[in-house]
Amino acid sequence: MYAIEVENLTKRFGDLIAVDHVNFTVKKGEIFAFLGPNGAGKTTTINMLTTLLKPTEGRATVAGYDVVKEPSEVRKKIGIVFQDPSLDRELTAYENMYIHGKIYGYNGIKLKERINDLLKFVELERFKDKVVKTFSGGMARRLEIARALIHEPEILFLDEPTIGLDPHTRAHIWEYIKRMKKERDMTIFLTTHYMDEADQLADRIAIIDHGKIIAEGTADELKRLIGNDVVYLKFTNGMIECIKAEFIKDCKILPDGRIELGVENASEAIPKIFELSIQKSWKILEVSYHKPTLNDVFLYLTGREIREENGESFAILKTVARRRFR
Amino acid sequence: MNAFITLAYRQLKRFTRARSRVIGSFVNPIIWLIFFGLGWSEVFNFPMARQIFGGVDYLSFLAPGIVAMTIFNSSFISGISVIWDKQFGFLKEILVAPASRKAAIVGRIVGDSLTSLFQGTVILLLMFMIADSLKVSGIPFVLLIGFMLAVAFASFGVSLALRMTSMEGFQMIMSFLMLPLLFLSGAFYPIDTMPNWMQVLAHINPLTYAVDGSRYFLLGTSKFPITTDLSVLALLSIALLGIAMYSFERATIE
Ligand SMILES: Nc1ncnc2c1ncn2[C@@H]1O[C@H](COP(=O)(O)OP(=O)(O)OP(=O)(O)O)[C@@H](O)[C@H]1O
Ligand SMILES: [Mg+2]
Repeated sequence: MYAIEVENLTKRFGDLIAVDHVNFTVKKGEIFAFLGPNGAGKTTTINMLTTLLKPTEGRATVAGYDVVKEPSEVRKKIGIVFQDPSLDRELTAYENMYIHGKIYGYNGIKLKERINDLLKFVELERFKDKVVKTFSGGMARRLEIARALIHEPEILFLDEPTIGLDPHTRAHIWEYIKRMKKERDMTIFLTTHYMDEADQLADRIAIIDHGKIIAEGTADELKRLIGNDVVYLKFTNGMIECIKAEFIKDCKILPDGRIELGVENASEAIPKIFELSIQKSWKILEVSYHKPTLNDVFLYLTGREIREENGESFAILKTVARRRFR
Repeated sequence: MNAFITLAYRQLKRFTRARSRVIGSFVNPIIWLIFFGLGWSEVFNFPMARQIFGGVDYLSFLAPGIVAMTIFNSSFISGISVIWDKQFGFLKEILVAPASRKAAIVGRIVGDSLTSLFQGTVILLLMFMIADSLKVSGIPFVLLIGFMLAVAFASFGVSLALRMTSMEGFQMIMSFLMLPLLFLSGAFYPIDTMPNWMQVLAHINPLTYAVDGSRYFLLGTSKFPITTDLSVLALLSIALLGIAMYSFERATIE
């Protein structure tokens, strides 16, 4: 049984095809990541899956319910953290949680307990009576995550959960996400344009660009698309020649005298290289290795980089612009 | 039901947080009262004038109008918070909830109407201190009229705000409508002495009926039969509330 099933899902805004015949499934209890640059169609996909936008074409079921025909059933099953902040800034953390709980039909002691538990979960219990206006970006984000969990959703949507946050806060939020999967057995659909985020968190990743899914699989599967790990070696006493062994797939001499070896798995290959060197009494001066990153995968598939740095500041600008001009 | 109570609660909570806005909302009516009301009340301080104003002094004549104006202003402007909610994303949080949207928006409108009514009540009590001929027994009925007026214009404000993307646009429409509606409501001078074309507009101005009905309960005189005033306000507030519910039901983020 799938938590999310999507068939040919498409959204047009006038001439622009924001999401273009997308197909994928998300299994129950899985963390599934949509990885793609700005404007790829990640938020638009989430908006359709969460019943906020009507698809132009195609269909999607979430928790077994059709997002167009049975939106209120879908809404009961899902929790969302939007890309743009969506808290009531004039109210306190507790009041924000309380209002959410009430709207979802929770009451009394049960609601109170859930709010306190969840504020503890995101380490905000000390700030529960502070007005949200005074919160930092990271605190607001954590509050939004806690809020999305009040009604015990089966499926959680996180739209760029760590965008614009500092590394420390990002690590915290990753921790919460992992714990939600483990302790609450939740299905999580997240979007991100951070390679490391997808790599760290997701069981499976779909890479999306210009509204189309261009690759899908586990992080390892995706990395295997572009082949090998690479080991770089430098020997003393001018030993510059290719090494042959069954675990070495290819070998190149680099202009600076280093030797580049293509191997299946660098961590396993390096000890073997050491053994070999001892047998042949070569002396290793330097060793380093490179494992393909999702960045390399994206580069390989699109000829472009996601460019986290530029992408990030641009994304923040965009968020600000959206807030001001929407 | 949950959504109704929760959203009403939220609007009231926000109101109590926004002290400066609360105080600001009293400034306008008080300025009118003092500079307009007290100023003219001396000019009209001769026996014949009482006839123009239905047998009462000018301040008493003006009082119901100032109360209606307070409620009208504050309920209309409450719609703008919908645009805030769009910009700060809170609206999405409601749109994606499984709760009834109709209940949610009615809760919101009722919450805002209660805060407007509270402001009107404060001004009403102030009026009792400075105008001589007001009847205490009229207070509950004036509050009823004030509530209907508030629901009508809060609903109007919400429907308008749902179609707008910028605060500036909303404010422009508001300032475009606000003063004409006030001057055409009989709040400051009787409708009977207006030029004919103005009288026609006054008759189709909903605020007219709120001012006239309040005058009936506070002063005992009115231009229209009180049943007319009350039924116009009741129908209007139900109709505008209906439109707001319909608009919110169909609201998307597109
Ligand atoms: N309401 C809208 N009207 C018109 N075009 C839109 C609308 N929403 C999104 N788009 C366009 O659709 C495309 C996809 O946007 P979307 O927000 O889904 O991208 P994204 O992957 O979430 O990007 P980001 O990383 O910037 O959040 C963009 O080109 C965007 O400009
Ligand atoms: Mg987005």
